[in-house]
Amino acid sequence: MNPITPIINGLAITLKHLFMKPVTLQYPDERPKVAARFRGLHALNVSHNKAKCVACYLCPTVCPAKCITVEAGEDANHDKFASKYEIDMLRCIFCGYCVEACPVDAIRMTGEFELANYHREDFIYNKERLLEKK
Amino acid sequence: MVNLTIDDKQVTAPKTATIYEAAKMNGVNIPILCHDKKLKPFGACRMCLVEVEQMKGRQIPACTTPVTEGMIIRTSTPDIVKARKMVLELLLLNHPLDCPVCDKAGDCDLQNLTYEYKVDTNRFVDEKFHHEIDYNNPLIERDMNRCVLCGKCARICDEIVSFGALTFIDRGIETKIGCEFEDGLNCEFCGSCISVCPVGSLLARPFKFKARFWSLTKQKSVCGYCGTGCNLTLGVKDNKVLTTLYDENQGFHKGQLCVRGRFGYQFINSDKRLTSPLVRRNGRLIEASWEEALEVVAARLKGGNSVAALGSSRLTNEELTLFKKLMLENVGSSNFDHSAGYAHSALTSGFARSFGTTASPASILDIQKTDLLFVIKTDSYETHPVIGFEINMAVKNRGIKLNIISDKRGKLSKLPGANTFVHKPGSEVSVLNAIAKSILDDKLAVGSVDSVQGYAELAEALKAYTPEAVSALCGLTAEDIKKIAREYASADKALILFPIGQGYVSHNQEMSCAVANLSILTGKLGKEGCGVLCMSEKNNSQGAVDMGFFPRADGMNAQQILDACKNGSVKTLFVAGENPIVSYPDKSKVTTALEAVEFLIVSELFMTETAAMADVVLPACSFAEKDGTFTSTDRRVQYVSPSIRKNSNCKTDFEIFSALISKLGGQTPVSSSLLFSEISSNTDGYAGMTHVSLRKESAFASVNVKPKLIVPKASAAVSSEPGKLAMVTGSALYHSGTLSQFGEGPMHVCPEAYVEMSRKDAANLKIHDKDIVTVSSPTGSLKLNVKVTARIPEGLVFVPYHFSAAPVNAIWDGAPVTMVSLTK
Repeated sequence: MNPITPIINGLAITLKHLFMKPVTLQYPDERPKVAARFRGLHALNVSHNKAKCVACYLCPTVCPAKCITVEAGEDANHDKFASKYEIDMLRCIFCGYCVEACPVDAIRMTGEFELANYHREDFIYNKERLLEKK
Repeated sequence: MVNLTIDDKQVTAPKTATIYEAAKMNGVNIPILCHDKKLKPFGACRMCLVEVEQMKGRQIPACTTPVTEGMIIRTSTPDIVKARKMVLELLLLNHPLDCPVCDKAGDCDLQNLTYEYKVDTNRFVDEKFHHEIDYNNPLIERDMNRCVLCGKCARICDEIVSFGALTFIDRGIETKIGCEFEDGLNCEFCGSCISVCPVGSLLARPFKFKARFWSLTKQKSVCGYCGTGCNLTLGVKDNKVLTTLYDENQGFHKGQLCVRGRFGYQFINSDKRLTSPLVRRNGRLIEASWEEALEVVAARLKGGNSVAALGSSRLTNEELTLFKKLMLENVGSSNFDHSAGYAHSALTSGFARSFGTTASPASILDIQKTDLLFVIKTDSYETHPVIGFEINMAVKNRGIKLNIISDKRGKLSKLPGANTFVHKPGSEVSVLNAIAKSILDDKLAVGSVDSVQGYAELAEALKAYTPEAVSALCGLTAEDIKKIAREYASADKALILFPIGQGYVSHNQEMSCAVANLSILTGKLGKEGCGVLCMSEKNNSQGAVDMGFFPRADGMNAQQILDACKNGSVKTLFVAGENPIVSYPDKSKVTTALEAVEFLIVSELFMTETAAMADVVLPACSFAEKDGTFTSTDRRVQYVSPSIRKNSNCKTDFEIFSALISKLGGQTPVSSSLLFSEISSNTDGYAGMTHVSLRKESAFASVNVKPKLIVPKASAAVSSEPGKLAMVTGSALYHSGTLSQFGEGPMHVCPEAYVEMSRKDAANLKIHDKDIVTVSSPTGSLKLNVKVTARIPEGLVFVPYHFSAAPVNAIWDGAPVTMVSLTK
């Protein structure tokens, strides 16, 4: 083979791409489109103005990374609710087992993926931060 | 034994076994909801249906059908599985599917069976129940919507606890478990119903929503309250004791517990626990380092005979031995004692004289094997509730006769066939002597008795105690006394039970000799189901006696130590685990003594009244944080291992005493297990025991009895004074010592001291239930709530002793009976 041919072929590919839509995403100016089933930051679902979570402890039980801490409390109607719900995002492996285990559809995973932070304690998401934003 | 076939397996089973028991014995598991091995078969749930070849065409409930020779049983044919699925479907028709919020989930028989039988759909439709849920009770939450009507709670409350708080009410589909008149629970709160509930209908409220069952570590331990020596399973999570769990295979009591054992664990993780050594500087207790505190203590312990120690019978055998070593060998003082100096005298002085040993010649297991139980004081139930359950079962299930002599009626008096002979307070010894006299007069004694040492002296001394003479002062008729004597002597096997403790001053060496005389005279000793069981007050009272932690001939007893503190001959007092200001008689005497003593060292769990007066306070560890052995009242030696890690700034008493020994230049033991090998070689009956063997199984220390008849001296009768009532003190059912004040469960149901009085006296004094009255005695006065009950005879009032807020020792100077007046 003529030694020039591969170089020509290469340049042809490069030239072709000059006229194609660019693959690179200009993050953060451009935002990615997250798939519907993407497993990002957790959110606690809300119903009737309160978290649906009943603190059944199935998510901390099933969690392989042991990153969920739940404490149950008793409200005025003697019902069970999560007085504390914390996820340590530094430990979370985003497997989604917590969502699968939940018997009351109280937790889901959102498309939120920008979880970087400056302090370790900022990676611990408490109930307030996890509650879904409307 | 009968031979039968279960699931094609040839097995044998005892003749009395049911199919269920035979299967279980041979490793075949039959599902069931309504069975507990302590209860009688009931056959309510229909889960245990099996097929029996000989009874073709029917499905037979395994739990109520006795085995017969040659039975061929199949436990899981397709038909049976189908029937069980149907049963589950029908149960789940009304059972709410709220497992995520039900604390029983994970430990729920219904949940487990539903999972096992894969019942995930229901062919039927019906409405769920809408019963009101009882959230008001502080200990037991009742949600009858979840109930499967197995009846275990009602049965255990009746058959074992003998209270009968719960029963089936209404009929048909509306049947539910409830209390009389659909009222709230007002019972003993032993929580037995919670322990057997197969679903989440009855739950422990203190544990509500605290943790899920599967996240708990189950730690086996021994209860730290009374001397029964019940085994506990503690539910531990994150180094905290969150609850007690039920294990039907644990201990002689098969997991059965009383209110303090089941609900009194909160003191272990209380935030009131001391966490740092405190040293008094400029009149205030200031936090200090261990090094500093121990240095100060060690310097003060170099005082020879001017140092004295008061121990607690809640310490382990190893700690008590080490404490004694510290005092004898390193400090050089033999002034040490426990339990106010008198609560152990029935053993250390009474039995020591009568039986030549300091232990009871009977065990708790004898209760089920005897023919007649002779109980002294109905309080035996209150002091040792689980022994009380044994008595209940003996009387109700085995028809064992029960005779009681007591100064008041009580729970035991309500048992079927129980005879309660109510005598005047303080006349126990006279009554027992009169019984002995009656045994001799009626020639009921065994033939060989006149060869027993001391017979002649006793026979001579008893001449003053004819039933007729005693009846005049004790309030019983001569015929009663003769009847007790006759029944006791003529029974094939008879067992005497009596409690001792700081609240039972009259249960002293004289009384234990009087009791021992009865068993020696009638030969009811050294045989199965016979003997005398002295029920020691605290979890290691018997151990403290076995370890010899009481004054020897050259030492002072607790009362003498307090006197010596006052007059200055004792300069340093080391109190380990006791709160004499509340638990010893005569508060003002104890307070003056502790104020007068130059240097007071207290090792404690909490800032008690005594610790608040100390010059150095050392934070110690509870039974759940240390290892060692406890000896129960019938000399069962049990090993406890730490259930949780201790606070790093607390030391066990073992560590404290070791550190002090080394500071005083002595040799410290390497470990508690090595010290225990030393104990087992030096202590009578403990031979061969090691921590390793006890870890596997507890062991009884043998008791070697050399009977001798001793003349018991009856104390002078208390003369009644017009307008005054006789006060006796003792134990309330919900409490044990002063420790149970720090357990939330007991404090929920019995938060304060009270004065219990008869209806007649209340009417005479125009006092009503729940009134607040001032109880005055020569030594002081105290404001107390009134409880008017039917069990107290006229002329008597009862005040329990456990409470710091209203300590009975403000009006009680240690006399068995105190005359008091009540004013509104």
